[in-house]
Amino acid sequence: MDFIATFYSHFGAMRFKKEVEKNGASAVLKPVPRALSSSCGTCCAFTAPELPTPSHPDEVEQIVEITEDGSYKTVFSTLE
Amino acid sequence: MQSKDKKELLVIAICGLITGAIAIALVALGNPANMGFCIACFLRDTAGALKLHSAGVVQYIRPEIIGLVLGSFACAIITKEFAPKGGSAPLTRFILGFFVMIGCLAFLGCPFRMILRLAAGDLNALVALVGFVCGILTGIFFLKRGFSLGRSYKQPVTEGISFSVIQVILLILVIAAPAFIAFSESGPGSKHAAIIISLIAGLAVGCMAQRTRLCMVGATRDLVLFGEKKLFVGFVAIFIAALIGNIVTSRFTLGFEQIGKVAHSDHVWNFLGLYLAGFGCVLLGGCPLRQLILAGEGNADSAITVLGLVIGAAFSHNFGLAGAAASKAEDGTINPGGVSTNGRIAVIIGIVVVLIIAVLNTFVKKNAKKEA
Repeated sequence: MDFIATFYSHFGAMRFKKEVEKNGASAVLKPVPRALSSSCGTCCAFTAPELPTPSHPDEVEQIVEITEDGSYKTVFSTLE
Repeated sequence: MQSKDKKELLVIAICGLITGAIAIALVALGNPANMGFCIACFLRDTAGALKLHSAGVVQYIRPEIIGLVLGSFACAIITKEFAPKGGSAPLTRFILGFFVMIGCLAFLGCPFRMILRLAAGDLNALVALVGFVCGILTGIFFLKRGFSLGRSYKQPVTEGISFSVIQVILLILVIAAPAFIAFSESGPGSKHAAIIISLIAGLAVGCMAQRTRLCMVGATRDLVLFGEKKLFVGFVAIFIAALIGNIVTSRFTLGFEQIGKVAHSDHVWNFLGLYLAGFGCVLLGGCPLRQLILAGEGNADSAITVLGLVIGAAFSHNFGLAGAAASKAEDGTINPGGVSTNGRIAVIIGIVVVLIIAVLNTFVKKNAKKEA
């Protein structure tokens, strides 16, 4: 499954990337897609068999799953 | 490249071209030379109009600023992206904003005006561009090592909407022009397009910048960090449109000597001024234009940053820190202008303060977390 995680800081994105790569997933850091947010921060796009549990959830803004039609489905969020 | 990405790139390029064209039109309609848009200069003028400083030649409530914020606000409301948030190191952001302004005014322009000056053939802006990129690279050094100002939190609507309400009050003041508001009778502050034109220009660019996330700092940051060209295309598009506009309207003069165009050739301080601005803006997450747009979207941290910029402008002119533009006296004597000793000291202090903020929020914070 393909996911995109957005963060409150660039540091949070770097830490998360290391974490998911440690668990064998492929991950890349890039700017947050405009379709996902008006914020211009860093996101982590990754492929994993299932949604990982972030060790620092307070740093993660949200995680979305990229569905087959290319739309985003929120699977984790600290946004109210 | 996916078709969605191509479409986004095209939209950014078109918006950049329109923004550059609007900037040229504003100069043709009365704004000072190469100042179709300059967030630093316009916030400085607004600070002067509110008598936060007493430099008589730079006092005018600039409707472009009002338009940028309200354009972003309206767009964010329509697209349901208005999201009041804040609480991410507000005082640190205020201080960063303060010193970013000190750097910008030493050079005599924000990163946006740097592009417009470059597009008019002003080579002093090329020196500043090198400084700006070096500042961004310094900031990226800290970003890669864990710099963070901490997360923001959801805020009440009143917190997100207040900055836009202030803009409406400023709009009323510039239209009503009560006696207690200062308006320059000479100098750059006296040169401006009609209020309605400036306002519409600001609204249009504010709207486009909200949709495209146009940012002079983000453009370089994304290119260096991720090899992502989208925002950089916007940067280049503004330059191309302004370059063509300047050539067509006979406003292009290649060289360092730019008498009467609000510029000076104090190279070291043009470089260091925008080095300071680039460094500070990377830590803030965006250039002064971007801070206005984010403030319109309800980001209280960006609103605080803008207040830091305003107070920085007031200090700049109250204590003679801003660069003096090169000028020609009636007898033909040329005054080269430049940055005063006070201004130079302020820029150095600014670089040191921004460096301390970067170190404290990178290495010291990381060590504290490890110990915890």
